[in-house]
Amino acid sequence: MHQAEIILNEKVAHSIYLLRLRANKVAESANPGQFLHVKCTKGPHPLLRRPFSIADVQRKKDTADIIYRVVGEGTSILSQKKPGEVLDLMGPLGRGFPLPLPGTLPLIVGGGVGVAPLLFLAKKLSKVAGLEGRAFLGFSSARETFGMEVFESYGFSVELATVDGTCGKMGFPTELLEDYLKSEKKVKAIVYACGPRMLLLKVKEIAASCGIPAYLSLEERMGCGIGACLGCAVKSAKGGYKKVCRDGPVFEAGEVEIW
Amino acid sequence: MVDLSVKIAGICLKNPVMVASGTFGFAREYSRMFDVNELGAVVTKGITLLPKEGNPPPRLFETPAGLLNSVGLENPGVEGFIRDEWPYLKNLQVPVIVNIAGETVEEYRRIAQRLSPLEGISALEVNISCPNVEKGGMAFSRHPDSAYEVVRAVKEQSPFPVIAKLSPNVSDIREIALAVEEAGADAVSLINTMLGMAVDVEKKRPVFKRVFAGLSGPAVKPIALRMVYEVYEAVKIPIIGMGGIFGWRDAVEFILAGASAVAVGSAIFSDPAAPLKIIRGLEDYATRNLKTRISDLVGLAHRNDAEF
Repeated sequence: MHQAEIILNEKVAHSIYLLRLRANKVAESANPGQFLHVKCTKGPHPLLRRPFSIADVQRKKDTADIIYRVVGEGTSILSQKKPGEVLDLMGPLGRGFPLPLPGTLPLIVGGGVGVAPLLFLAKKLSKVAGLEGRAFLGFSSARETFGMEVFESYGFSVELATVDGTCGKMGFPTELLEDYLKSEKKVKAIVYACGPRMLLLKVKEIAASCGIPAYLSLEERMGCGIGACLGCAVKSAKGGYKKVCRDGPVFEAGEVEIW
Repeated sequence: MVDLSVKIAGICLKNPVMVASGTFGFAREYSRMFDVNELGAVVTKGITLLPKEGNPPPRLFETPAGLLNSVGLENPGVEGFIRDEWPYLKNLQVPVIVNIAGETVEEYRRIAQRLSPLEGISALEVNISCPNVEKGGMAFSRHPDSAYEVVRAVKEQSPFPVIAKLSPNVSDIREIALAVEEAGADAVSLINTMLGMAVDVEKKRPVFKRVFAGLSGPAVKPIALRMVYEVYEAVKIPIIGMGGIFGWRDAVEFILAGASAVAVGSAIFSDPAAPLKIIRGLEDYATRNLKTRISDLVGLAHRNDAEF
C-alpha cells in the first residue's frame, strides 16, 4: 500500500478521466497490463477498492496514470478528487502483457476504456526496435474517443470504429482486425486486446481461426486484489477457476473461457 | 502498559485481533504487505476433504456498506492444504486456526482426523455456517441437533481445541450456541455471513447463479453485535466476535458485548492494514480507560444499571 498524491484528474472524453499520481514505486516497477487497486474513500462505503489498469508511467517524473470511466459510485467519487489530494493504492498488481517474439507484428485491439492499458503497452512496444504495430480501436461514439494520437506517436497505425458511426468506420474494432488479417494472410502477428467481454470473445475467435496468439486483459469485480479472497473468478480452460487479480488480468486467450 | 493478551479455547493470543476465515487466504498472500506475525491469530480459508472449485462468477457484489459473496468454498482440499499451504503456515509465529467444512458429518470427521497429526495447529474452526454451498455448510448450523452432531464428531477426532462458527440465519442463535457448547466446543465464532441477494436490473435476474449469497461488512455489524450479546448471556465458552469490524471502535463494541477476541474480515479488502490499526486502537482505548488488561473489558456492557 502506498499513499499517492494526485497530480491531475481531468476529463479526456465523455465520462472518461485521466488521473495522474505521484507514485515512484509504481513508476519504477510497473509493466503494461498490471493494475492499481485504489481506495476511493477513507470510510467503509463503498467497501471495495477499485482496480484500474495502468495507462502510462513516467519514470523520470515518478508518475503513474490511470484512465477510468465514470460508471458507478466509486468512479464518480474518484472523478471529484482534486490535485493535491492523496489516494491510497495497492500495486502494481497482477500479471501483465508478454512482449512479442522478434519479428512479430503487434496488433492491438481496444474497446472503450479498455484502451487504457494498451496505451502503456504500445509505449513499451515502441521501445523494442523494429516494431511497427497496428491499433484497432473502438468506441461507442465520437465523443468517447481517446488515445489515437498517443498510439500514433508510438509509431502505430491506427484504425478507428464507432458503434454509431460518428467517427471512423461504423461497427466494432474486431471487424477492423478481421479485415486486416484477411488482407495480410501471411503476417506473423500477436494480438493484444482489452475491452468489453464481447470484444474479447470475438478476438479470441479471430486469433484462433488465424492461428495467431492473443493476450486478453480481463475485467472482473475484485475483493482483495492479491489472490486471497477468490472473488474474481474466471473459468479456466483446464477446469476450475483462475483469479483475474493474481493469474491475470492478462491471460493467453486459450487459458480462459470467456462467455 | 496494557496487557493485550487473551486466552481463548486454551490458545494464548498476544492480542485479541484475528482475521476472519475466507478473507485472508492462507496468510501467505498478505505476508508481502505486512508482518502477519503481528496478528493475534491467523484463520485459514475453509478446507474441505476434497478440492472444491467454487461457484461460477460473479462471486462478489457490493452493497451499501456491505459485500455479498458467493465464493462457494473454493479450496485445494485437505491434502492440497497439507502439501502446499501448511509448510508456510507452520512456521508462523502466531497461532494458526484451520477452518474446516464438509457436506456430511463423516467428512468433518475425516478432515479432523487427517489434520490431527499436524503439530502446530492451534485450533480447528468448524464451519457449519457457509451459506454458499449446495450441501452441508449452513444447514448444519440451522438446527441444534445437527450442529451438536458435527461438533461432537470433530471433537472426538481432534487433539486441538474446537471452535464452532455459527450462522446468523437462524431464529434463535442461543439454542445453537448451547448445543455446540454441550457438544464440547471450546469457543464459538459469531457470525458467518447473513443470507442476502441482489438483482441485476438490466438482465432482470438474480446477480448470483445460486441466487442467495452471504452478506458481510458494516451493514451486518449491528446484527452480529446483538448476537454476541445474546450468546454471551447464554453460554460459558468464550466468543470470537466478527461481522463488519472496520475500526477499533467496532472491535471495542464487540468486546464490551461479550467477545473475548474479534476477527476482521471484509475490512481487509478495503485496508489490508486494518487489523494492525485495530490492535493499536484497542491498546489506546484500554490505556485511556485505565484498564491494565484488555480482557477486563469483556462483557462490560452487560452490567446492571447500578454498576455503570
